[in-house]
Amino acid sequence: MTRRWGAVALLLLAVGCQKPVKPGDPLPGLSRAERDRFDRGKVVFDSVFTPETGLGPLFNANGCGECHEDPAGGRGDEVEVHATAFRAPVCDPLVQEGGPVIQQHTTPALKQALGIDQEPFPPSATARAMRTSPVVFGRGLLDLVPDSVLLAYADPDDRNHDGVKGRPNRFVDGRIGRFGRKAFVPTLREFNAGAFAAEMSVTSPEQPTEEDIGGKPIPAGVDPAPDPEITQEALDLTDDFVRFLAPPSPLKLGKDGRRGRDVFSQIGCLTCHIPTLRTGDSPVPALRNRPFAAYTDLLLHDMGADLADICLGLAAPADFRTEPLLDLRGAEHFLHDGRATTLEQAIELHGGEGSGARDRFKALPAADRAALIAFLKSL
Amino acid sequence: MQRHIRTAALTVILLVPFLTSAPADWDALNSAQAATSYTYRGTIRAVNSRTGTLELITGVGMSLRLVRMTTAATTRLVATGAAPRVGDLKPGDVVRAECRRTAAGLVADRIEKLAAGTP
Repeated sequence: MTRRWGAVALLLLAVGCQKPVKPGDPLPGLSRAERDRFDRGKVVFDSVFTPETGLGPLFNANGCGECHEDPAGGRGDEVEVHATAFRAPVCDPLVQEGGPVIQQHTTPALKQALGIDQEPFPPSATARAMRTSPVVFGRGLLDLVPDSVLLAYADPDDRNHDGVKGRPNRFVDGRIGRFGRKAFVPTLREFNAGAFAAEMSVTSPEQPTEEDIGGKPIPAGVDPAPDPEITQEALDLTDDFVRFLAPPSPLKLGKDGRRGRDVFSQIGCLTCHIPTLRTGDSPVPALRNRPFAAYTDLLLHDMGADLADICLGLAAPADFRTEPLLDLRGAEHFLHDGRATTLEQAIELHGGEGSGARDRFKALPAADRAALIAFLKSL
Repeated sequence: MQRHIRTAALTVILLVPFLTSAPADWDALNSAQAATSYTYRGTIRAVNSRTGTLELITGVGMSLRLVRMTTAATTRLVATGAAPRVGDLKPGDVVRAECRRTAAGLVADRIEKLAAGTP
């Protein structure tokens, strides 16, 4: 415990010696060439697609920036729909019916051809999930935490009897996942390439085929842009922009905040919200072997029946990845679907493996509760 | 003149085997090019051992795709410690499938059942 906070203190000291990083800033220490790629990637990230340049025929947004705009790379107020079918123990992502991402908009040509305003909801779905747009700050750092670190934090059989059973999710090919609210996607690269296809239906060399319309072929003539609809270079630049987005510097803690940081530890929040993680090797020095404030173990935890929605990979309906606590002070909605409008509500909605920490939070004196919230709002 | 005759004879001797065997080789080459091979890694969604068909979920990030393939008598199935049959595969199994595209669709040449977490 002392070592953990020691690492955080060292990290904060290091951060304190640098100019504070604002939301949307690049990582400190990028080379000129990397900074150039960050700037050029931002242009692609902020661009708006049309049907002629690859948008649709189904889509959730017409550009990355529509959902991650506040500021560039941050959060938006969009909520999207996911659907899968859970037939225990197997999770069917309902690809044959258009899942798991159910796009909420159609291009005019698709609307004219099929008379639909959104992708049909899969008839075989056993659950519907609402998903807010995640912030994308610091994702390049999370991408580089070695799998061995995640596995070291895992305790699927609860051998330490603390009631918390972290376990990794797996992608469809068996690799350990870490991105997305269910930790389904193994790498940032795939998350970004997949987002072009799943959110905008913009094909790329890494996902060169369009999605069917609820499992049925796309009508002729409604997808005018030839595949792939963006180049490898545009995809690479966008990936670099996201990879190089820095996590914003935590605010300087006052007396309440420092007390709240202690309370965070005392009531057991840091069992899952691991304060500091360290990246592994990388060709980018600014990302290589860096400790950073992550506040996550990137593992799945059963969060109780009240939060349960869809399954995904090995994640059962109630399983969610520990959310990294990055840029909390910029958030107006909390939890995977944005149902909590305050941090207090978000903590009180923790169930399952989080119920112990929740109960200890609820039992705190009002001053300690306020101190904990002050600490979280510094992140 | 003698030199020209000798060169022509040598050319004929060297070319005849190529010219006589070429059509067969070209056919083989062309059919090999048509049957481009594909490798997919993914989770089995459905398997029908009677028809020998297999549905595999693959994808990039949250963008998932369904790949349908058939097995043939020549399809090799591989797993650690055993040689499974198509009927031994079940939904949720993670596999690597090497396929080729034919006029009838994708045909699997080799299916390897992977242990969960295989990198």
